[in-house]
Amino acid sequence: MQSFKQSKKLLIFSLKREKIKLSYWLIGCLSFVIIGIIAFVLTYNDPNDRQAMVGAMSNPAMEALFGKVIGVDNYTIGAMYSHTMTVMTLSLISISAILLVVRNTRLEEEEGMIEIFRALPTGKLAHTTSAITLLAIYNIILAVLSAIILIIFGDNSVDVNGAVLTGVIYGSVGLFYGSVALLFSQLSSNSRNATMFSLVFLGLSYVLRIIGDSGFELISWISPLGLLYRTKPFVTNNWWPVLILFFGTIIFIVISLYLQKRRDLGSGLLPSRVGKRSASRLLRTVPGLALNLLKAPLIIWTLSLILLGVTYGSVMGDLETLIAGNEVIEKIIENNPDQNIVKQFIAIILGLLSIATVIPVIQIVMKLYSEEKKGRSVYLLVGKHSKNYVLGAFVALSFFSSVLLQMAQVSTFAAAVMTTQVKGVFFRDILLSGLAYLPALWTMIGFVVLLFGWLPRMIFSAWILLGYSFVILYFSNLFDMPEWLKGISPFYHVPDVLSGEISFIRLFVLLILGILFSFIGFIGFNKRDSIE
Amino acid sequence: MSILEVKHLSKLFGKQAALKDVSFNLGGGEILGFIGPNGAGKSTTIRIILGMLKATEGSVTLFGKDAWDDAVEVHKRIAYVPGDVNLWPNLTGGEVIDLFLSMRGVEVKAARKEELMREFEFDPTKKCRSYSKGNRQKVALIAAFAADADLYILDEPTSGLDPLQERVFQEHIKKVKEKGASVLLSSHILSEVEELCDTVAIIRKGKIVESGKLDELKHLTRTQVKLQVLESVDHLQEKNYIHEFIKDKDKVFFQLDSNHTDDLIREIQGHGIVKFESTPPKLEDLFMRHYSRSSEGDV
Repeated sequence: MQSFKQSKKLLIFSLKREKIKLSYWLIGCLSFVIIGIIAFVLTYNDPNDRQAMVGAMSNPAMEALFGKVIGVDNYTIGAMYSHTMTVMTLSLISISAILLVVRNTRLEEEEGMIEIFRALPTGKLAHTTSAITLLAIYNIILAVLSAIILIIFGDNSVDVNGAVLTGVIYGSVGLFYGSVALLFSQLSSNSRNATMFSLVFLGLSYVLRIIGDSGFELISWISPLGLLYRTKPFVTNNWWPVLILFFGTIIFIVISLYLQKRRDLGSGLLPSRVGKRSASRLLRTVPGLALNLLKAPLIIWTLSLILLGVTYGSVMGDLETLIAGNEVIEKIIENNPDQNIVKQFIAIILGLLSIATVIPVIQIVMKLYSEEKKGRSVYLLVGKHSKNYVLGAFVALSFFSSVLLQMAQVSTFAAAVMTTQVKGVFFRDILLSGLAYLPALWTMIGFVVLLFGWLPRMIFSAWILLGYSFVILYFSNLFDMPEWLKGISPFYHVPDVLSGEISFIRLFVLLILGILFSFIGFIGFNKRDSIE
Repeated sequence: MSILEVKHLSKLFGKQAALKDVSFNLGGGEILGFIGPNGAGKSTTIRIILGMLKATEGSVTLFGKDAWDDAVEVHKRIAYVPGDVNLWPNLTGGEVIDLFLSMRGVEVKAARKEELMREFEFDPTKKCRSYSKGNRQKVALIAAFAADADLYILDEPTSGLDPLQERVFQEHIKKVKEKGASVLLSSHILSEVEELCDTVAIIRKGKIVESGKLDELKHLTRTQVKLQVLESVDHLQEKNYIHEFIKDKDKVFFQLDSNHTDDLIREIQGHGIVKFESTPPKLEDLFMRHYSRSSEGDV
């Protein structure tokens, strides 16, 4: 037992260090559970509403996102919760567990903390054991509290048996992906790769589940997420998938401990790749560097936006049954009896999608700010390039991304709407209607450039404007608000092309605002000191 | 001809004065050692020279052009190595060196780059996230030396290098000087400054407290003298050019104002000198003199 010596002391030390971070994760995951169950109990009290949801959820896009509908014949609140929340919550918990394990094993090894512990009279496996115990404590708390929350806030259909099972699958998925991260922490030689491989493993589980749920069901069983989904709490309450996963967890932990004991400190079992000796032609330019720095988030955002487009587009077919009689939704879309309700809803969704597009687009300009803050923009500026050129490269990239991302998202949305065969809406109209948001996007870019030039430290307040625009989009019709207050949101001025409203002047004004803001921003950047 | 001219430079951050009336010159083919304790204003001065910060008062001219208004023109002739080299974690060292060189607008000469990497024992195929401080500095140094510049601005460039690589660095500084380039070397390592620099400027609390040719400055400072004598030389204590006189049996230790060496020899002649040891003035002594004097004054 030499190898485990002092595990307990290390655990207490880890607990001290981790308590704040872990509380945040616990609160985050648990609020997901609380909000989910309360929202369902409040909004879907009526069995007819729930049955309408079954219809809306029974299409390939929704099945890909959540899994096949369970408890179709008796779609209770419990069934609804299990169906729509399970995969999402499991993924969230898995991510938190992966980060926890890598942070407490490979990252500490990388930063040299384990070296200090090993020099002290602690066992070889003590540090890892304390990390595993920490993982177990985290997941047990999560499981117990989730079950309690469901029992307290659920209705009659949320029984104790199902609530406990839900808690148990939450806890066991965390343990499982934590053990996966532990294994990858042994295999790869740095924390970044360990995290990446573990997340890819999680992503693959998700994809396998999607493939399985959209046809060949057996594949879904291989995926731990698909497997746990089949416990179907509150519907059939199968316990045995939990046992299979638990068995897998034990195997992974044993292998990890074995590898940990055998390998040298600081090394990994997978060879680290040899990097490039010289830079590509593209990377030697400012736009090329910008693209390189932003490629990962841009790819992820492109995929997410397309997914968002498909998801929203595919429910439009069942829209009329879904929102019929729902007063709140009717109020949000300012129901005008002359207009097709689906058209009006699509217009709102287009606004929402456009606001989502803004996020990656303005992050590009914000990236230059963070480069400056990290002291790296100096390399670009002390050289042959002017400040205008460097900022211009990032702004241009932001501009092109706005066009491409909006096009990609709106056209997939429009295509998805078309597959649902909604009457009276055409692909071209939706596309044009979505593209009409572009000048508003450019106003947002201009606003961020303005902040960058004059108030760089306030650059993130652009998120406040974006959040405000979102609120205006959704709620401006619910409350009486003065026009000027709504008008602060650039998106408020975008004409509703879908309903035949065409106003080139408003688009032109948004465009001019974008250019003007940017121009003033460039002047500010040329005048101001660079920040440390 | 002056390559770099700093005149009456002041910089306020809000109400706080970071620099007060800083002036110095750097001539063509010269190496200027820019020394001072942490937080004295070295980096702020350099950032103003680079056109990153705007001077509150005074002027900075490089090659006869203004540091702020003509920044792009000036930068084409400069190679810069910052003190804290922050690099992009996902790029390799080799990629960053090429990137730096192309940002300077100079052609990447593969052979010269490879040669430098060999001399500095640098592996360019690793991702920057895995580099130590010394390796990150090497990235910036290799990019600086791989192509010619008219002015090299180096902000504590060797704090992470080992002694062998420090020597490689010094050789390259001497080489660029031979080619006629000028160097502004901000440094903590006084032996390095002493080895390389023609002129020094010492900055403290935002003010230049001493500047000029290194030889002339050293002249102002004191030589350590150790004597072993048969007869008493106590009368030396009275002389105003002798300081901190200590006697230990037949040995005496004291500090001598270097420009009074002749007077000292006249005084001790014929006193039965057994041993005469003198340690020449070091930059460190000069530095410490300002250091201790000003800290006394400030408290």
